[in-house]
Amino acid sequence: MKGEETMLLNRESSGARWRTRPDGLEKVTGKLQYLTDRSAEGMLIGRVLRSAKPHARILGIRTEAAANVPGVYAVLTHEDVPGLNAFGIAFPHQPVFCADRVRYTGDAIAAVAAENEELAEYALSLIEVDYESLPVVTDPEEALREEAILLHPEGNVLHRAEYREGEPEAAFASCAYVAEETYFTPRQMHTYMETEGGLFVPEADGKLTVYSATQHGLKDRMQLSRILALPEERIRVVSSPIGGSFGGKDELNVQPYGALLALRTGRPVRMHNSRAESVRAGLKRHPMKITMRTGCDREGRLLAHTVRVVSDTGAYATLGAEVLNFATEHVIGPYQIKHIDVKSVCVYTNNGVSGEFRGFGGNQAIFALEGQIDRLAAMVGIDPWEIRRRNLRKLGDPGPLGQPIAPTDGARQVWEALEASSLMVERRGSPVREPYDPWTVTGIGAAIAMHGAGLGFGIPDPAGGLLRLAPDGRIEAVFGYEEFGQGLIATMEQMLVEQYGFAAEDLRIIIGDTDVVPNSGSSTASRATSMMWMALRRLVPDFAAKLTAAVERAGGGAGCHPGKGGMWKDGNQVMTYVELAQALSEPIVSETAFSYPTTTMERVGAHFLYTYAAVAVKVEVNTLTGRVRIVDQYHAIAAGPVANPQGYLGQIEGGAAMAAGFTLTEDARMDEGLYLTKNLDTYLIPTVLDFNGRIQVEPMEDLPEQDTYGPRGVGEVGSVCLAPAVASAVFQAVGKRVNRLPIEPELLQEMPFMSGKAVDSHVG
Amino acid sequence: MLQWREDLLRTPVLYQPSTLEEARKLKRELGAKAVYAAGGTLLRTLWENGTAALPEALIDLRGVAGFSGVRHEDGHLYIGALTELSACRSHGEIAMASPVLREAARGIAAPSVRNIATIGGNITCGYGDVLPALLVAEAELAVSGPDSSPWVPVAAWLADRWGSAYDPETIVAGVRLPSASACIELGGRRFEVYRKVGRREAFTPSLVTAALVGTIGEDGVLRGVRIAAGGGSSRPHRLEQAEALLEGRRFSAELMSSLCETVHEEYAPSGDAFATGAYKTKTAANLIAAELWRLLHPREHSPEQPVSPGEMASE
Amino acid sequence: MLDKIPDTMEAGRGFQVGFRVNGHPVTLEVPPSRRLLALIREDLGLTGTKRSCELGRCGSCMVLLNGRPVNACLTMAYQCEGADIVTIEGISAGGLHPVQQAFQEEGGFQCGYCTPGMVVSVVALLAANPQPAPEEIEEALSGNLCRCTGYASILRAVNRAIEQGGDIHEN
Repeated sequence: MKGEETMLLNRESSGARWRTRPDGLEKVTGKLQYLTDRSAEGMLIGRVLRSAKPHARILGIRTEAAANVPGVYAVLTHEDVPGLNAFGIAFPHQPVFCADRVRYTGDAIAAVAAENEELAEYALSLIEVDYESLPVVTDPEEALREEAILLHPEGNVLHRAEYREGEPEAAFASCAYVAEETYFTPRQMHTYMETEGGLFVPEADGKLTVYSATQHGLKDRMQLSRILALPEERIRVVSSPIGGSFGGKDELNVQPYGALLALRTGRPVRMHNSRAESVRAGLKRHPMKITMRTGCDREGRLLAHTVRVVSDTGAYATLGAEVLNFATEHVIGPYQIKHIDVKSVCVYTNNGVSGEFRGFGGNQAIFALEGQIDRLAAMVGIDPWEIRRRNLRKLGDPGPLGQPIAPTDGARQVWEALEASSLMVERRGSPVREPYDPWTVTGIGAAIAMHGAGLGFGIPDPAGGLLRLAPDGRIEAVFGYEEFGQGLIATMEQMLVEQYGFAAEDLRIIIGDTDVVPNSGSSTASRATSMMWMALRRLVPDFAAKLTAAVERAGGGAGCHPGKGGMWKDGNQVMTYVELAQALSEPIVSETAFSYPTTTMERVGAHFLYTYAAVAVKVEVNTLTGRVRIVDQYHAIAAGPVANPQGYLGQIEGGAAMAAGFTLTEDARMDEGLYLTKNLDTYLIPTVLDFNGRIQVEPMEDLPEQDTYGPRGVGEVGSVCLAPAVASAVFQAVGKRVNRLPIEPELLQEMPFMSGKAVDSHVG
Repeated sequence: MLQWREDLLRTPVLYQPSTLEEARKLKRELGAKAVYAAGGTLLRTLWENGTAALPEALIDLRGVAGFSGVRHEDGHLYIGALTELSACRSHGEIAMASPVLREAARGIAAPSVRNIATIGGNITCGYGDVLPALLVAEAELAVSGPDSSPWVPVAAWLADRWGSAYDPETIVAGVRLPSASACIELGGRRFEVYRKVGRREAFTPSLVTAALVGTIGEDGVLRGVRIAAGGGSSRPHRLEQAEALLEGRRFSAELMSSLCETVHEEYAPSGDAFATGAYKTKTAANLIAAELWRLLHPREHSPEQPVSPGEMASE
Repeated sequence: MLDKIPDTMEAGRGFQVGFRVNGHPVTLEVPPSRRLLALIREDLGLTGTKRSCELGRCGSCMVLLNGRPVNACLTMAYQCEGADIVTIEGISAGGLHPVQQAFQEEGGFQCGYCTPGMVVSVVALLAANPQPAPEEIEEALSGNLCRCTGYASILRAVNRAIEQGGDIHEN
């Protein structure tokens, strides 16, 4: 293994590797056309009627009055779905249009297409629905009771997951210390700034073009084909650019309605959810209740760990089962524990639908697990960072589920980097109260995590792409991915430029269009960077050889190689790509198809590749108000080589900000199945003043020699460690344990002036 | 019937009166169908959230004579109701006359919203974050028009606003503050503090707002203390018992303790979806006591010897 | 029936509003309460101004109205009468603005959806105050939410723009 010389990631340390993003100019000038910015001649506006009730039988739907409004071109209900009246990436059972029952207030009952927004809105107001209210199930544990009303024919349990190793019950008897706690995490909203929407165009040749955001265009095409009863070849899905997704746009949202309305009216239809509708119908992060009992010996070595996870998936499945599997794996995490018993359940309720969200169940699991480790450290009387060292997985150890994984030393790398950080040095001092603001107390805390990448064993996880010398001399990189801001196009360009010597001007990167891209799999699960890198490793040698042969055939001589602008030999350019393309009768193409690497253990969802993060954070707790501010952060990330410094830094910083919201302010609150936080005036994501402290990112780039998998994606790992680190810092500051997110200020509030409470034990 | 319903679409008719009387007359004729609008920022929020339906008519007050501008008048600083909150934040005369008002404006929404939203609108809703500041500034409101009506103290107007007999035709035309020179009276050190606590650091609805003004004499005695609290959609009000407790007193641990107890008795807002009433009360008490502690404490303690309020209190 | 009140303007549908957008005079016949956001995006086809929360709580639709940033979703047509409005398209009409240049160089964006609004707020800030203190930058940007970046790269971009004299647009 190489020596570990690392440095903080920033513009200066990146030098020439800090590149201007190819999509930058269009973004800073506002010229970039998002799919919701599109319009077309003769376009109609589509709208969806959502359920007025969180749980009810539908006794009747009357649409005549709406249909009779001049300027209204279609009013559709369940009767108008030619194919499968359901969608869902994993388990298609969410009705496109509800026929006889609604299960949450985002359920769709009808859709209209009208000449303009106002008419569409008016038409919706004329649709009459007769409901017979049913009991509203809002608590997943209530939903599990025998007498609970069943939300689906198969019952209220979407999925159970278990993992067991050793004899935990017996092992607890030999533990010197046992920590027990129940943790609660919020219903976080993705809050992509661009709400769901797009343009749906019936083409002259009978095809349908869908311009709408998703993280896997081919999957949307398959789902739409099923709903529309239209062959996949007759549907084209254009899915980029996207104004943020974070997992939230992976599932279908407006697409079925836009597509059905466009096909019915024969006119282009635009859909664009209002924020209110986005909140009501859109996915959220699964709220989880995680109960843990964890025991260790006198030296802090973990011996036994039992976990119960109850996850609220809301009315429908989407990826609730897969998220639960992920949480089940990550409640064990980076620690070697002999005796483990995890039982998890994902439950239907009449709350908003939970689904895929950056971190994918890891955020909840890691908050709970790291909380346990902190509690045990306090019991043992050792430093919380030291207790982690004593239990971390080592190079060559199996994964959390006992599965073989790619050998990794990531846990040690990030542990050591954090240990050496200035924040951890500062942490050894006592909490400080400023003399003239003695109510503001600082504390420093830390947390560590391993986070799985890829979809895991047993789930089709295709990858691939193609390179082509186009007739105009551009080298086209064609991949089935989506750009939702993460910088995928920039990373692809940077790999081709840095690793293979092309100039940015030689390239044309084509993504997000099902008519032209191969199946590269989804842009999810921190997988796209790895898959692009592996694809290029397969593609470029073949592509270069074809180019070399073509030059020779064209009379340019043998033995040249691709470089900037064209083909080179002995330091001289032999032929430009344009000249070469002109000399060809057909384009040169190299294509590859493979799959994301998986573990050999046959357990669905078990991962093979992991990234690691360790985070130290300094907080200020204002004990007058109970409010917490994050003032300094250090993130050590082990994810292999940095493919794109600007993108990497941005993902960690942005992931941390999202985690700050998860920790301090964000919760899509519901009452009896209705959202209380209906828009961004009450659902509060961080502003610049909530996230203005220093943030340092240090990448650990070295991989073990036998690791041939290259750079890993960092889209998620930056968002999973901050919450437990903040909880740990809060404990150092004020001695209170946090078990519920977002942190409730009232928990941390003190009354320093009230008689009898004047002397504060936390000072000094 | 008004012509607007002839159309299917719900588009309010706009009326743009040029005098106060016209505006009131329109409201009288149109009744609940019409709403007054100035910046319209709160209205748009209510409409978008579905809290209020789009009205049938809007009465635009921006063209009404005498509602604009900031000027000195009869020993007062007059602030027209149409004055944007951004002006309250940045106007030099306002900052001089009422630092608490300036600070209150700084915490409302964000600069772009403050560029549209008016002080009149923030007052008229009955719970705006400027109100605690205006209460302690002893501001008065011109309630029907700048010329024809008497000046009403903010507290009295609030009682009316929150009462059952509030006249929906009421228009707040302007605010007047005792001008800065009028405040320099008792000698000693004058203080003006405004604090807001919400659910995030900025651009947040308030949970608790607190304003306090007064002077600390050379002898360390508090005089002319006025305190008000509000926040969320609670009715803001003066904390008169707390004020009375502090008047003429010097700092002591017992005083701070009594102050907190008094605030607890006197300020009891209801809880909402995001914070309990108890939290709001404790926060108000803590902020007020802590600000006084800071104001009243000599700063000779060296940073090497941190002090806690408890230690200080026991001196 | 409402008595006709002299001197009171009354407007329903068919209300005419005139203002300037990026220097060009515009007259539109629209309902008076129609939002400036809709006028810009739908009626004038300028889609750089983004639609997101629609109640003034995110800043995606920020435009300059008489030189000051306002939320186009809160501003109604009748409130624009005679106003001078500049959208993101107008900021770079004469070439890339130094603020835009700085955002590009620092990577002060990811998905880019908040970026036009963010740029508008920064341009307004630096025009009024070429050397703002950190607190002033934060206050000026407090109404612009970004979900992707965590603001760190945006603050770096603003500081770069300040260093490079971002208040001056040569074109």
